[in-house]
Amino acid sequence: MTTLETPAPAPAAPLAKPSTAARAWRTLRSSRAATIGLAIVAVHVLIALLAPVLTSYDPIANNADQALLGPSWEHLAGTDQYGRDVLTRVLYGGRYALGVSVTATLLTVALGTVAGCAAALRGGWFDDVLGRVLDAVLSVPPVLVLLVVVTALGTGPSVIVLAIAVVYVPQVVRVVRGAALAIVPADYVTAARARGEGTWAILRREVLPNITDVVCVEFAMRASWVVLLISSLSFLGFGADPPTPDWGLMVAENRTAITVVPMASLAPIIALATLVIGLNLAADALSKAWGVDRVREGR
Amino acid sequence: MLSFIARRVLAAVGTLFLSSVLVFLAVQALPGDVATQVLGRDATPDAVAALREQLKLDRPAWERYVDWTAGALHGDFGVSLVSGKAVGGEVGMYLGNSALIALITVLFAVTGSLLLGILAGLYRDRWPDHLISTVSLVGMSVPEFVVATVLVLCFSVALPVFPAVVLYGPEASVGQLLPAVWLPALALAIVMAAYIVRMARTSVIDVMASEYVTTARLKGLSTWRVVTRHALPGALLPTLHVIALNVAWLAGGVAVVENVFNYPGIGKLMLSSVQNRDLPVIQAIALISAIVYVACNLAADLGAMALNPRLRTRGRT
Amino acid sequence: MTATTAIVSVDSLSVAYRSGGRDVSVVHEVSLDVRPGRTLALVGESGSGKSTVAATLLGHLRHGSRVTAGTVRVDGADVFALPARELRRLRGGTVAMVGQNAGQALTPSMRIGRQIAEVGGDIPVVDLLEQVRLPRPAELARRYPHELSGGQQQRVAIAMAVAARPKVLVLDEPTTGLDVVTQRGVLDLIGALRDELGLAAVLVSHDLGVVAHMADEVTVLRSGRIVEAAPTGRLFAAPQDPYTRRLLASVPRLDDAGLALVGEAGEREVRPRAVVSDASPVAVSARDLTVDYGSSRAVTRAVDGVSFEVRRGEVLALVGESGSGKSTLAWALAGLRAPSGGAMTHESGDLAGPARKRPLSLRRRVQLVFQNADTSLNPRRSVGDAVRRPLRFFGTAGSRAEAAARARQLISDVRLDPAFVDRLPAQLSGGQRQRIGIARALAGEPDVLIADEITTALDVSVQADVLRLLDDLRRERELACLFISHDLAVVRGIADRVVVLRNGVVVEEGPTDAVFADPGHPYTRQLMVAALEPDPDTRPLVADAPEWTDAAEPDDVWTELGDGHRVRRWSPLAREGVA
Repeated sequence: MTTLETPAPAPAAPLAKPSTAARAWRTLRSSRAATIGLAIVAVHVLIALLAPVLTSYDPIANNADQALLGPSWEHLAGTDQYGRDVLTRVLYGGRYALGVSVTATLLTVALGTVAGCAAALRGGWFDDVLGRVLDAVLSVPPVLVLLVVVTALGTGPSVIVLAIAVVYVPQVVRVVRGAALAIVPADYVTAARARGEGTWAILRREVLPNITDVVCVEFAMRASWVVLLISSLSFLGFGADPPTPDWGLMVAENRTAITVVPMASLAPIIALATLVIGLNLAADALSKAWGVDRVREGR
Repeated sequence: MLSFIARRVLAAVGTLFLSSVLVFLAVQALPGDVATQVLGRDATPDAVAALREQLKLDRPAWERYVDWTAGALHGDFGVSLVSGKAVGGEVGMYLGNSALIALITVLFAVTGSLLLGILAGLYRDRWPDHLISTVSLVGMSVPEFVVATVLVLCFSVALPVFPAVVLYGPEASVGQLLPAVWLPALALAIVMAAYIVRMARTSVIDVMASEYVTTARLKGLSTWRVVTRHALPGALLPTLHVIALNVAWLAGGVAVVENVFNYPGIGKLMLSSVQNRDLPVIQAIALISAIVYVACNLAADLGAMALNPRLRTRGRT
Repeated sequence: MTATTAIVSVDSLSVAYRSGGRDVSVVHEVSLDVRPGRTLALVGESGSGKSTVAATLLGHLRHGSRVTAGTVRVDGADVFALPARELRRLRGGTVAMVGQNAGQALTPSMRIGRQIAEVGGDIPVVDLLEQVRLPRPAELARRYPHELSGGQQQRVAIAMAVAARPKVLVLDEPTTGLDVVTQRGVLDLIGALRDELGLAAVLVSHDLGVVAHMADEVTVLRSGRIVEAAPTGRLFAAPQDPYTRRLLASVPRLDDAGLALVGEAGEREVRPRAVVSDASPVAVSARDLTVDYGSSRAVTRAVDGVSFEVRRGEVLALVGESGSGKSTLAWALAGLRAPSGGAMTHESGDLAGPARKRPLSLRRRVQLVFQNADTSLNPRRSVGDAVRRPLRFFGTAGSRAEAAARARQLISDVRLDPAFVDRLPAQLSGGQRQRIGIARALAGEPDVLIADEITTALDVSVQADVLRLLDDLRRERELACLFISHDLAVVRGIADRVVVLRNGVVVEEGPTDAVFADPGHPYTRQLMVAALEPDPDTRPLVADAPEWTDAAEPDDVWTELGDGHRVRRWSPLAREGVA
């Protein structure tokens, strides 16, 4: 018989099992840009939450005899034309921007992910029809859609959230569909199909875990776009209603007095820009660390 | 090759048709009675009825859709509810003014950003790349109204070279508008260029790492020849679609910038017609934007065909 | 063999790249010399650094790598000390390279002719294309790379390399992506050009058959170090190092009468084939199976009227080149592609429907193992998860705890440490992943296993291990195994019976020994002629294959040779001038 016996299995050398959390932590430690980006966003969230503790001024109440003051120890960033403390309004301003943006982005990315995966997995007529309809939605400028919806239904946060979902879902669907299409032909998906698993089980077990990074990056990036879009809307007077402290609105209000009290315009601009830069840095660094191609979808 | 073009054009027409249906339905779906809302709450019932008849609101939706598209095909978009003038002519006038900005923007943004993006890609991870990448990251992180405001601060207030606002109406001549065009165009170009720069950089890096570029280098060709003959056609291919998307974005992007500068273009018309609920004008603008979007994408597809022989020669092998 | 006469001379070269703040050595103190007109082969498995060494002859290093010690001299010039202008002159002019994948090495947006012409040199493009034996060269020069077949693309790459009449040719796996018959043609072309132009050549290959056929001298690399260097004849006849011996012993041969088992020190023993009794039941069978691709307008018939049956404990091999329909057949059996005609039956039921329509008990009994170990496991799920899922899904394990225990058992059944359960696929080697793929298939307790090119992507020593595992398993578990491969030598060792497919049609079938001893169809002979044995002195098993044409008629398809060996009818093709 054979002299060459079946060799004993080689023992597995101990290896740490990298969890998703550990992976994210490693990414953070290895990428300075990601750390900075996420830190900026975290600071913005903290400020928005702690605004009442950080300042003693009322962000809404007018005070005519304190109007248009330059920076001083009482008003670090001066006051606006109604005598409101600019710094206070900037600190409170993140609440509206972050609240609406995060909700809108969550909804958009969730809907887009489900639809995108379904399109990739089902294919056929479903994919075709969805693609055509989404293309048609994409062809109308988001600003116009939002303006029309807001004038018709009012400027309530829920209306804005829904409107943003309508204009941005198509793009998320495209990205997620593309990512899922790269997974679907993989042999482990074929194996699941050969087992006869259902569409939903394949989606949840095989496809979704492999596109979480794409979805995370997508979230960070969409969030930055949504913040920009909402602030533009407020700037045009279709977003937050006037006494509300909101960055876009503040720029619009104080632009005319920019030569008198430049800080009243600059402070909200800086707040807005840092938040979006933070989101973009995080999205860029995460996509680089995870190998997600995010640049490819300019707009 | 012809069948490829034909298929693309057909798909574009299909998308356009769907867009027009969506636009029409969306406007129809706006809640409340349009006539009442246009005329205000205390309008006389007679006036409301007259307006309803003028808008043909009593007829079924599909009939109105057919009427509208049939008119739109001949350039007849109905009559403005506010000015009472033909929508086609009015929109055309504003559109012409915006086209002036768009032309300059596209010209500068596309050439400039392609050059910068290719430069950054070729000097990957060295200082020109770091500089260009950082600036473009900031560029895409700042909203248009901020860029516009900062530009006004710099070039109208601190250094009065360009006018801060336009004082002319939509009928202004090109000569009257020309001095006021530069700042809005610059603002749009900065925001738009950021995306194209990033895309061009990434695809240049991808292509430079490809096997065929390595082969070309190992053939002993000069760097200039490797870049221009071997790398660039492949690198421009994915960039084309980003350029198309950004050019199409201008249709909506002008809204904010034109309002900052009070420039009498399509963006300003868009805003005022939304404020006044001037439905025929809104519909016309939406449809024109959709046409721009579809046309840009079609142009990108055809451009891709010119760059990629695989698309050109399909069916010949 | 002194350095003065050598045109290529690499002297204790070390290459490293930086990763995580420290140097990782890729090549360590490698020295070699090549004299004009001679061919040196660099042999090794993946990760041996053979391609890195070859690329240094052109002064090329991968992004992030650098030379840490040693020199590379080509035609007297120190390659890494050359100024940019002279390095460019060296490339193309003195040293030229032919890469593995010509499809990706040619610029897609440029015509063939211009890509060849820009290398320089005085020879007209048309002459060059003629020299690499491409038909209608003038017309071909105006084509784009994607309009050519893989073999043609590789010939264009060769034309490009010899355009400026270099002195040294670097060939990095020049035939790896090609079918055997095409590979043979390209190798013959390279050999002829080398002799005609008096070129020195450095050939990088993992395929010992190619090396034995082409090289004068061989250098064996392992993990960036030289293991052994010797003239080809001596290396293949009397390998000195145990690693070389093991490598050589692992290569399956066309004359093995059973599966070759390889020991640690490279000893080789051929295990006799398992005996399949005539009484053992037919596990799965196909009758007149046809599978079509494409829409109703443009139909491509991938599988055309194929019939076979596999008994329990038997290995049936489907052999053919790419496009022969062998993988399509596997997918149809697994219920992933609907057949357009014919019947498939399992001993316990009809396999007509798609996987989702088949009853669970039937589904679990036909299992598939995939070619590419990299994509066959979900990278985000642990190895244990991959095996537990089918256990739970098919209900072969009742509880969670039972599934966990069974998963560990299955993993040790495929000769892996059960401690692997918590690993992610990325932490396993290719061979280990392929074993997990087999364990996952076994989880359904199948009686039919479809192995679709499961060893193609593996290194030769790993391939030997996986083949042995498969052979053990079918003995232990009475598995009916459909073994799909393009490699005749692999099939020779493991299969009991062979079916040769060409363009979706069976051209020959029969017991393995009978088919290999006396191949009846010219296509089978052609495949066997093209197969390269790891032995420079080997005589081909069969004489050259005649030109032929299909002569099968509906009621007269087969020529029976007895014992189930039959050949599709054919007739010699009469050529003009030739009888």
